[in-house]
Amino acid sequence: MTVIDSDLRPQEPPRYVMFWRRYRRNRAALLGLVLFAVVIAMALTAGLVDPGDPLRRAGVPLTAPFVDPANPFGTDQLGRSVMSQLFYGARISLLIGVVATLISILIGIIVGAFAGYFGGWVDDILMRITEAFQTIPSFVLLLTLVAILGSKIEWITFAIGIVSWTAPARMVRAEFMSLRNREFVDAARNLGVSNSSLIFREILPNALPPIIVYASVIMALAILLESALAFLGLGDPNYASWGNMIGQGRAVLRTAWYCSAIPGIAIILTVLSFSLLGEGLNDAMNPRQKQ
Amino acid sequence: MNTQATPVLAVSDLRLALPKGADRAFALDGLNLIVRPGEIVCMVGESGSGKSLSAGAIMRLLPEPHVHVAGGTITFEGEDILSKSEKEMRDVRGNRISMIFQEPMTALNPQKTVGWQLDEVLKLHMAGSRKIRHARAIEMLERVHIPDPESAYNAYPHQISGGQRQRVMIAMALALSPRLLIADEPTTALDVTTQLQILKLIRELQQTDGAGVLFITHDFGVVAEIADHVIVLRQGEVVEQGPADQVLNRPEHPYTKALIASVPDLTPPTLKPVIAAPIVLKGTGLRKTFAARGGLLSGKRKEVVAVKDLSFELSQGETLGVVGESGSGKTTVSRLVTRLLDADCGSVELGGTDLLACTPRELRAMRKDIQMVFQDPMASLNPRKRVVDIIAQGPIVHGEDPDKAHDRARELLEMVELSPAAANRFPHEFSGGQRQRIGIARALAMEPKVIVADEPVSALDVSVQAQVLKLLADLRSRMNLSLLFVTHDLRVAAQLCDRIMVMQKGEVVESGFTAEVFANPQHAYTQNLLSSIPGRDWTPPVRTTDAA
Repeated sequence: MTVIDSDLRPQEPPRYVMFWRRYRRNRAALLGLVLFAVVIAMALTAGLVDPGDPLRRAGVPLTAPFVDPANPFGTDQLGRSVMSQLFYGARISLLIGVVATLISILIGIIVGAFAGYFGGWVDDILMRITEAFQTIPSFVLLLTLVAILGSKIEWITFAIGIVSWTAPARMVRAEFMSLRNREFVDAARNLGVSNSSLIFREILPNALPPIIVYASVIMALAILLESALAFLGLGDPNYASWGNMIGQGRAVLRTAWYCSAIPGIAIILTVLSFSLLGEGLNDAMNPRQKQ
Repeated sequence: MNTQATPVLAVSDLRLALPKGADRAFALDGLNLIVRPGEIVCMVGESGSGKSLSAGAIMRLLPEPHVHVAGGTITFEGEDILSKSEKEMRDVRGNRISMIFQEPMTALNPQKTVGWQLDEVLKLHMAGSRKIRHARAIEMLERVHIPDPESAYNAYPHQISGGQRQRVMIAMALALSPRLLIADEPTTALDVTTQLQILKLIRELQQTDGAGVLFITHDFGVVAEIADHVIVLRQGEVVEQGPADQVLNRPEHPYTKALIASVPDLTPPTLKPVIAAPIVLKGTGLRKTFAARGGLLSGKRKEVVAVKDLSFELSQGETLGVVGESGSGKTTVSRLVTRLLDADCGSVELGGTDLLACTPRELRAMRKDIQMVFQDPMASLNPRKRVVDIIAQGPIVHGEDPDKAHDRARELLEMVELSPAAANRFPHEFSGGQRQRIGIARALAMEPKVIVADEPVSALDVSVQAQVLKLLADLRSRMNLSLLFVTHDLRVAAQLCDRIMVMQKGEVVESGFTAEVFANPQHAYTQNLLSSIPGRDWTPPVRTTDAA
């Protein structure tokens, strides 16, 4: 009776299969995925639904939904179609969500990785800067930035990224601090791997899962921040965005509630989809956490 | 031993069900055991045999509902454990049954000082003022032979060594003189001298108080040292049980025989004829201190000297063992010579160049010549990389063509006796022994002049350990490797090392050829170490069965 150690265990299915199996277990996450797919489909088909400018006059102002077949969701006080604005708005919301999230995660990873990996005075300086950002309420900072930079969509996206990098930075730092002393990092260092490769090739892939999960939260927040800006009239007026629609619909809220309610529902469902998506990603990427 | 006494603990036909999708349906299938007062029952088995879960079942600390009792009874001093309420169990735990856990790292609350945690146990079950409890706590710390108990009392768990943490755990468990002590691999993380003291301590308790002990271990040396009765487990089933003498010296089941045959022999290798080989690694005057910090208002802790003026020489093709207790600085030595830690002073000459004086750029190039095999096979491989990339990484970093490096990695896998199919898998798909083989392959990929192995087999099961040691010995003779082998296990050192260097508190107290040191130790500490090897008086009976 010998215990042979060289025999391999049966091969596991590929990673993405395991990932999908674990993701699938969470029903709510599947709903999130469906909602997310709907939003993406809306963004992609906006040009088909209405090939023209969504901000042009499309019918009699303040038509109620389901009255005019050309404008199924009705029109606002300037006669613009609510439905085509809704579809084009999905583009803007997704664009802002994705780009702002990328900006904030990128800054967060760089700051957090260096602070966590090197520690000492590097950590002290970077964390004091992070704290300085954290002490300013993010919406106030956003308003300030937009007031300075102007209401162009690029600047708004950039500003949203700038106000939301602190949380991912702290997360990355915490992950790096616990991972940097693991033996596999020493092993790689002992192979002669340079610091930057250690940070980005060895440690970062192991630190990513919680960051990716958190990215879904940032995306939802970014969409909400943009809507809030537009609601205050600080959005980019050249683009149809859900926030702009709510902001303008506010003036006719009592007579034509649907002008604000329809984009409002769209925002709720989109944010919900990101939140559910994040939960599903968490289950799939950190399978041990829930047991 | 009084066989007539009522048993402290009686387990009959215990079955523990595992959740669906586990590798087997029952973690334990039909366990019967009896622990009488004053008796030490050893449960032996390799990892995954279900020994720790059985302890969990007795304490009612199973990870329910994933693992639950599916049948059988557990009787403690005539009371049915399984029918007790959670409240009643709380009174039993810690007071009448206490447990020493496997992981000294996680069993203590990292947020609280050692003293606070000892005090907590005493407060729950003992009357008396703070002063009396403090005195009792210090007394317990002394009883488990912690140097400087006052300092340890004020320390946080991370500030004391693993061995000391385990002693604190034992102090907590023994503080209330329980009727039954469950010890789950309590000495696995300890050094031989400590281990012997702890084993003696457990015996002492059992003799003075007549407590029963259920001792879980994987180490047959420990079994030989302490057991009255032995139960051998394999994958949840009892393969053999009986009085210690019978199981150890006349094992019947082939599995027991194989396990016993894997225990490394204590006979050191015969003296090699001394050939004047060139010196490849030379350390001179190495020193390293760590500053420890205490809490703001708690007592102060001293600066720790990890390595004090260490010098050594390693010749081509030789294996030098660095042996010592935890806290002796042997792991620090392995990190200093590879410059994963910076020494305070001294030099490490590798092929004539001082590694410690190198600039970062020179150092990265020099690392090629000195490679390391790490202790923890779980932590030392990047979980997000495929095995082939892990092995080929070093050569690629040093400018090797990636395709060639990958081909070479596959050859190396074969050399460490893993199937080439392993190349495209991730580390979590391998067992501990297999991962250690991958770690060895990674070190070999650089074709280093020196390999530093830091406790490479201490985390492995005994049968796997035997195979990995055999592999290392084979590779060494085939490739004329020079090894700096750090270990706490003298049996392992005896198997592999030509010369050994015994360290105590950062200093080398004795060094010389392994055979000479083992036969005729000069320093009192070495003598102590050698006489503490568990089961040194027991010669395993079966040497014919080849475990590897």
